[in-house]
Amino acid sequence: MASESIVVFAQFQSAVDEGFWHRFSSLKLNKLGIDDSPIPITGFYAPCSHPQVSNHLTLLAESLPSESNEQSSTAATSGGNRNRCPVPGILYNTNTIESFHALDKKSLLKAEAKKIWDDIHTGKAVEDSAVLSRFLLISFADLKKWTFHYWFAFPALVLDPPATLVDLRRASQYFSLEEAKSVSAACNEWRNSSLTADVPFFLVCVDPNSLATVKHIKDWETCQSDGNKLLFGFYDPCHLPNNPGWPLRNFLALISVRWNLKSVRFLCYRENRGFADLGLSLVGEALITVPQGRAAKTGNGLGWRDHQCLPNAVGWEQNKGRQVSRCISLAKSMDPTRLAISAADLNLKLMRWRALPSLNLNALSSMKCLLLGAGTLGCQVARMLMAWGVRKITLVDNGRVAMSNPLRQSLYTLDDCLNGGEYKATAAVKSLGRIFPAVDAEGVVMAIPMPGHPVPSQEEDNVLEDCRRLHDLVDSHDAVFLLTDTRESRWLPTLLCANTNKITITAALGFDSFLVMRHGAGPFSSNDERQRLGCYFCSDVVAPIDSTANRTLDQQCTVTRPGLAPIASALAVELLVGILHHPQGIFADGELANSSNSGSCEQPLGVLPHQIRGSLSQFSQMTLVGQSSNSCTACSSTVVSEYQERGMEFIIQAINHPTYLEDLTGLTELMKSASSFQLDWDNDDDDDDCIEI
Amino acid sequence: MGTKEEAQGTLSSTDFGVAASAFILNWNTVCSSFPPWTWVLSHHQVEGYLSLENVLLSSTQEEHSELSFPEAGKHSHQEDPIDVDDATLVHTNPCKVHYYDLHIIYCNSYRVPVLYFRAYDSDGEPLEFDEIEKDLPAYSKKALSDSKWTFITQEEHPYLNRPWYKLHPCGTSEWMKLLFHADDALAKTGVAIELYLVAWLSVVGHVVGLRIPFEMMKQL
Repeated sequence: MASESIVVFAQFQSAVDEGFWHRFSSLKLNKLGIDDSPIPITGFYAPCSHPQVSNHLTLLAESLPSESNEQSSTAATSGGNRNRCPVPGILYNTNTIESFHALDKKSLLKAEAKKIWDDIHTGKAVEDSAVLSRFLLISFADLKKWTFHYWFAFPALVLDPPATLVDLRRASQYFSLEEAKSVSAACNEWRNSSLTADVPFFLVCVDPNSLATVKHIKDWETCQSDGNKLLFGFYDPCHLPNNPGWPLRNFLALISVRWNLKSVRFLCYRENRGFADLGLSLVGEALITVPQGRAAKTGNGLGWRDHQCLPNAVGWEQNKGRQVSRCISLAKSMDPTRLAISAADLNLKLMRWRALPSLNLNALSSMKCLLLGAGTLGCQVARMLMAWGVRKITLVDNGRVAMSNPLRQSLYTLDDCLNGGEYKATAAVKSLGRIFPAVDAEGVVMAIPMPGHPVPSQEEDNVLEDCRRLHDLVDSHDAVFLLTDTRESRWLPTLLCANTNKITITAALGFDSFLVMRHGAGPFSSNDERQRLGCYFCSDVVAPIDSTANRTLDQQCTVTRPGLAPIASALAVELLVGILHHPQGIFADGELANSSNSGSCEQPLGVLPHQIRGSLSQFSQMTLVGQSSNSCTACSSTVVSEYQERGMEFIIQAINHPTYLEDLTGLTELMKSASSFQLDWDNDDDDDDCIEI
Repeated sequence: MGTKEEAQGTLSSTDFGVAASAFILNWNTVCSSFPPWTWVLSHHQVEGYLSLENVLLSSTQEEHSELSFPEAGKHSHQEDPIDVDDATLVHTNPCKVHYYDLHIIYCNSYRVPVLYFRAYDSDGEPLEFDEIEKDLPAYSKKALSDSKWTFITQEEHPYLNRPWYKLHPCGTSEWMKLLFHADDALAKTGVAIELYLVAWLSVVGHVVGLRIPFEMMKQL
């Protein structure tokens, strides 16, 4: 087979550093836009430096022109780095995948090959030999998906007929011991001088005394001396023992055209650990036949030496043996959403690793939270939940964002107030997505049916529909936050939560005081004989009525000290985290601050209180416990079983006739009999009369 | 190293610079056959970091790449036919090697050096962490799961602004303190700044399978 004796060159391989695509993306976005004119780039390569691994032509961030017009950075990096020999290249980036596939690869390759051919003929390639390895890159950058399609070509001029191989062996076998020593020393010197370290083509001259020198190829004429061994050396990226690397192809073309040599002795220079390795390097001899056939065809008898007669070129890089482009996805390091998620996860993991090994991040991230009310409390609770790693947040509110809201309600801005105001539920969800794109937030624009706010019969169907919706919402979530601005709007959710035994947390604000509490378990949730913890209504002796009627505007709670809502919201969320990490969960007893008698207070997150009351006027805060009441209008077994039996009919009755609840639970009786009913924890009757979202 | 810093197992940023140049000198003379560490200046040319790039840390795969001649004329896809010739040898199944870049960056909040690293395959594609994990030596995997201070996290590289892996520094000063206190004589010699990075890297480097040449350790 004829091919046995021809020189077979190992193809150049490409590597593109992540940094290249990062800089290219920013160049494209900030400077180039849709301009798709070719961009000059610089590739880097070095001699093979590992017996099993070939070196690659590498693109780095520095391969691209800098975004600002200061050229200093590229100049600084390209000066004589022995591991980064610069090679000129050109980048054709298309704006669509279709135009990427439609590029005329043959012509593009030919155009680059012609540049090499011209440089050979003009002698430029002798002065600046790196142009012999000139390369071409086509790409399509899908910046929406952070995916890059690309294809390299390393144009090689085809010798026709091909060069034949007379001899190829390890350099250590070719040279005598003495020569080898001297060649190594000379090459190392060449590689260590900042003037020549990145000059990839050179001459090795060995005189009869075995003394070797390495010279620029432009000094070829001066090396012609009888008795000298003259080798054409090049930095060989290839590691293979039987194949010279790709740069030799155009080097042979140069040698043939410039000096008309028929027999070329070449050195494939390779290294190990930064030094010449003549065991890895190869010395070979190639015979070049002047391509008579072509010469005959062109009729001028010059053949190769005719500048007008451009030889064929090959060189599109194969992808795992196939002729297809390559594709790289950098979504992991470029997609801001994914980066935000990993940063958020990391924060929580750090907390677990360093401070709270028992922190259950899965319980938090899988927790589905329902927030009733998207005002000062709702906004702040949602933010705190996200900070703890909660991903599923549903906000219910029927209000719109008003001009006074953004200052206190931390999810809104002025834009949300314009044109009559966006629905809070909708605006809050958008805002949460901007804060953390991986949040699974949902907004429900809906009023919560309230006792004491009688429903006209024509609206009854709508109200019933709202009740069912709320029922379903409570059912489909794991924890419910009651953050609305009135007492009575908390009644139905409290009942629904008691009915389904959901974790329920209430936060309510006065002017300068607040209450944050977790509701006890539902009345039918356990056979445990212990008394359940109370709910928001358990200490009341009246059923909820319309609390906003007959109030002046300031009593309708636009005024609380601004610091109050963030404090209460934060406590509400911390309370939820405490419940999630308590072995008894919703059934956990109420603990008091500083209580050392309770065994369960040894939890990593500390005590788990039932209620926290705080006052800004005193800068004080205390924990309290209140048991459930059998006469509670929201969570007692009487009320819950009534709801279970009569459903919506019962709800409508309760809404339209508030005293019905008091009659039902025996509160009416109780009030008659008890002349001085004193709550065990509430000595300050009026501090949460005015409550706000 | 100020005695106060030393007692804390930490390092000032000025001392980091001193330690870094001592380290480079030491490494490049003692282990000239290894790839060199270099000092990379930040854009503002004030601060900098140590860098060792493109290292084949674990070339466990000895297999040679399989080679074949390209099949001219056979084209998958609807791509244009591409000229290849008999003189071309294509790497059809390139050797699977993983390259590592290691950077040592000073962390102002913990006042200790931090190891940042990343890994990529031969055509430049970054490796996922589970692939990196397979490269790590067995003792490293064990250390990662056992101890608090060696956990690997992914964070933005402070100078490159791209996500890199790093060994979290929050435990570093603790064990550095132990390392120096273990030898009173060492603490008193006053050359400790120069040795800080060698000592530090002898512990940290192990996690990513980078061994400090024994010759460097002899000075300790």
